[in-house]
Amino acid sequence: MRVSNPASPPDASLPYSEITHDTYAVDAAKSFTVTELTHGTTVLRGPCPRCHALIDIPVVSGIFRSSRSVAGWLRATAPKAAEASHDEPMICTCEDEHPDRPDGRSGCGAYWILTIWSSAQ
Amino acid sequence: MTYHLTPGPQADVADLRAARERGRLLAAELPRVREAAAAWRNGLGGLLAALVGFSLIKGRSDVSQLARSWAAWVGILLLAALIAGAAGAMLLIRAASGRPSVMPVHELLSRNAADHIEAVTAAAALRRGIALTLICAALLVAAVGATWYGPQRNGPVLQVTTPSGTFCGPAVALSDGNLTLRTAGGQVVVDLEEAAAIQAAAHCPKPGT
Repeated sequence: MRVSNPASPPDASLPYSEITHDTYAVDAAKSFTVTELTHGTTVLRGPCPRCHALIDIPVVSGIFRSSRSVAGWLRATAPKAAEASHDEPMICTCEDEHPDRPDGRSGCGAYWILTIWSSAQ
Repeated sequence: MTYHLTPGPQADVADLRAARERGRLLAAELPRVREAAAAWRNGLGGLLAALVGFSLIKGRSDVSQLARSWAAWVGILLLAALIAGAAGAMLLIRAASGRPSVMPVHELLSRNAADHIEAVTAAAALRRGIALTLICAALLVAAVGATWYGPQRNGPVLQVTTPSGTFCGPAVALSDGNLTLRTAGGQVVVDLEEAAAIQAAAHCPKPGT
C-alpha cells in the first residue's frame, strides 16, 4: 500500500471557506492514493490541497437504503463495481478546528473533483 | 483492479453539496442498518411468538396420533423449521449487533469505509435473516397444519378365530354377543359364542401370510 506524505504541514489556522480552485484537483490527483478495500469500496487518501491535513475519502458503489419493498430487499445483490471512469466530488473532511466553521460541518471547506480511472490488471 | 486519478472538471456548489451529502449518508449508514435490523428482529420475534400463541386454538397436538408417514414428515418440517429459525435468529442478531471480532490494526484505514463495509455485510445478514425467519414461520405453519389435518394413525385391531375362519379388523360394534369387525373384505359379524380365540393386534396379517 502506498502512503503519501503531505508536502506541507497541516494548517489548522486557515479559516473555514467553501472554496474551490483549479489547482486543488491537480494537486490531489498527484498526491492522493487509491486503495480498494472490498469490491465496490475504495478509499482515496491524501493531503487536502488547501489545508494539507491528511484525509480519507471513501468511494462506494452503493449505500444501504431501507425504504424499498421487502421483495426487492430480498432480491438485492452486491453493489456493482463502479464504471471504468467516473467523476468523484471531493471535500476536505479533516477534523482540525478551522476558525469560522459553522456547527455541524467538518474540514476547511475546500472542494474539488477527481476523475477515477479503473482498469483490470 | 488498478486505479489512477486525474483532475476532474471544474467543481461547483452542487458538487460541494453532493460530497457533503455522501459523507452524511455514509456516516449514518451503519446506525440505520442496525436500527432496521433491531426492528426486524423484534418484529419477526413477535411473529414467531404469535404463531406459538396461536396454538391456544388448536387441534391435534400429539404427533404420535398421526399416521406414520405423516408423523415422519411433520418431524422433518419441525427439524427444518428449527434449523431455519436458529440460523435466521443468528443472522438477525449479527445484523443488529455486529460480529464480535478483533481487527488487525494494520488493516485499519478509514473509519467511514470500515463502517460502510460493515453496513453492507450487516445488510446482507439482515436480508438472509429475514428470509430464513419467514421460512421458519412457514415451516411451522405447515407442521402444525399437517398435525391438525393429517390422517389419524390406525388403532389396534381384533383378530377373532372361529370354526368358519379367522377375521381381523377394528371393532365397529358389539351387541347381543355379536362383534362387528371392519375387515379388508367388508364388515363381518362374528358370534362370540363360536369364537375359539380373540387376540388384540397392532395390525392385521397381510393376506397369504
